[in-house]
Amino acid sequence: MQPDPWAQWLAFSARFTPGASPSGTAQNASSFAPFADLSEHFNAAARAYFDGAANAPAPAAAAAAQSFGDSLRELFSDIQLPWNLSAGIGGAPPMFAPNSPALGASRESQLRAQRMAEAWRRIEEAQRRLQRFGADAVREAAATFAAGLAAAPPQAPSAEALHKLYGTWIDCAEDAYARAAHGEPFCNALADYVNASSEWRKELQAGIEHSAKLLDLPTRSEINTLTQRLMAVEHELRALREQSRPEAAATPQRAPQRAPQRVPRKKAKP
Amino acid sequence: MTNNSFSALAALAAATPGAAGCSEREMVRQSGKVKLYRYRPIARPSVSTPLLIVYALVNRPYMMDLQEDRSLIRGLLNEGLDVYLIDWGYPDGADRFTTLADYLDDHLAGCVAHILEAQHLDALNMLGVCQGGVLSLCFSALQPQRIKNLITMVTPVDFHSPADLLSKWARRIDIAAWVGDGNVSGDVLNQLFLSLMPFRLTQQKYVDLLAANPDRAGAENFMRVEQWIFDSPDQAGAAFREFVIWFYQENRLAQNRLEISGRKVDLRTLRVPVLNLIGKRDHLVPPAASLALKGLVGSRDYTALEFDLGHIGMYISARAQHEVPASIAKWLAAR
Repeated sequence: MQPDPWAQWLAFSARFTPGASPSGTAQNASSFAPFADLSEHFNAAARAYFDGAANAPAPAAAAAAQSFGDSLRELFSDIQLPWNLSAGIGGAPPMFAPNSPALGASRESQLRAQRMAEAWRRIEEAQRRLQRFGADAVREAAATFAAGLAAAPPQAPSAEALHKLYGTWIDCAEDAYARAAHGEPFCNALADYVNASSEWRKELQAGIEHSAKLLDLPTRSEINTLTQRLMAVEHELRALREQSRPEAAATPQRAPQRAPQRVPRKKAKP
Repeated sequence: MTNNSFSALAALAAATPGAAGCSEREMVRQSGKVKLYRYRPIARPSVSTPLLIVYALVNRPYMMDLQEDRSLIRGLLNEGLDVYLIDWGYPDGADRFTTLADYLDDHLAGCVAHILEAQHLDALNMLGVCQGGVLSLCFSALQPQRIKNLITMVTPVDFHSPADLLSKWARRIDIAAWVGDGNVSGDVLNQLFLSLMPFRLTQQKYVDLLAANPDRAGAENFMRVEQWIFDSPDQAGAAFREFVIWFYQENRLAQNRLEISGRKVDLRTLRVPVLNLIGKRDHLVPPAASLALKGLVGSRDYTALEFDLGHIGMYISARAQHEVPASIAKWLAAR
């Protein structure tokens, strides 16, 4: 059953409406607070701009616009873009030193840990590159935004004007981001991030399977094998049923039997 | 801006919940997690052939019938169409080896066969939405005798069009390694979708919400869409891997190189009437990715309609409610 959106909304609004709930939900105000804070900071910066630019000579208005742009750049410099939310990897970084020689009975485990450490290093490096693209986009957007303000006379500081300015700022930020995101360096950084994450997860899974076998617990690989066998039987059964239908001859059929196959993995590019 | 919103939200918090408006329907077939629904008619029939809606595997199909005044399905019912919808369900670990061929030959073909048998017909009308449009094109090319008219909506065909950011990102990723032997998390896919326009989708829409000072109806609208956006099923690993590699990375459909389970999917064999509905401001499926269909299908009866809407706006915007169902019904009625 789908949850009631109105009930969700009540829960949602109660989280960021101080004093709305007698049970003290103000402690959870943080979930929506970033957006309220963002609005407040944007308003403060916009008002400073209006104060500095209204009826001022061109150089002063330009300086106010520049200052507004700088404030926005600062305000958005810590923005957590989606790829830096540990998408799909989770967990803590490995504790193994990457370059120590793997010796003795636990050699395989050591090698696995080293590969995980190396993958983690690549994840962090790719994240840094991606965050740099984000920061560069914000800087470029701030410059474009300030230049646009300097070229146009300031409006009266109404709520509508503030909202419009905010929309203009977001347009600048998205345009700058899109220019970066379509570029090859960004695409490569994102691919490095995902590919290194896949490598890290694969090694983690192998380590968990190794431990599971020691404890005689069923592993994912074993369950997968059983699933594939079951699917093969289902396909065979369905094919037999299809063959027994009188109109079967007139209908194009898929290949007769096709047990699910694992696709050989390509090695991720370093 | 925020003071107004705080007071509005405090007032909203004191209100009582309301019921969601969805069209009445009946489940007429179930196979595993996949369900086929038939919607109860609400107007005099205008087209005798039933319309099967094939939604995408990513995201849930209730976006087509979100609430009474934001429902493509309700619009189609108002136009007198007999509407069916496939709900693919939420794949879990047992579905990790389910392939595109399974979706096409077992699930989609099973639903089509059920409708044709129940209504004593040889062919039906099909409406494929987004990725569901790709599945519809493949099915129609493989089994053209079962399709009377085909409608594609915000459907990518050329996956290498210049504005397709998702495709540019996907082409460099080792998909086989990413999927492994498991499913693909819907949450991770959501992060990817948010990354396409991060400032708008993770910042502006919430600030705009505060600024809009929504009433109860506005708040409910927002929350329904928000719920839908993040109600993302995990993707069956094998089908996802095939879809990304064959379509996003290798662009096989547009290059006439696609084979599914040993059968060639040649869009030139598709000679039934085709209606292609496109969102001019679609950031997920750029218009050029959909418009390419014209040069690929064998049909002489091809119509493309472009709407000044985004991807989601094609289903739920006020303009879509007025324009899209009427356009579909008019086109079908003429055939």
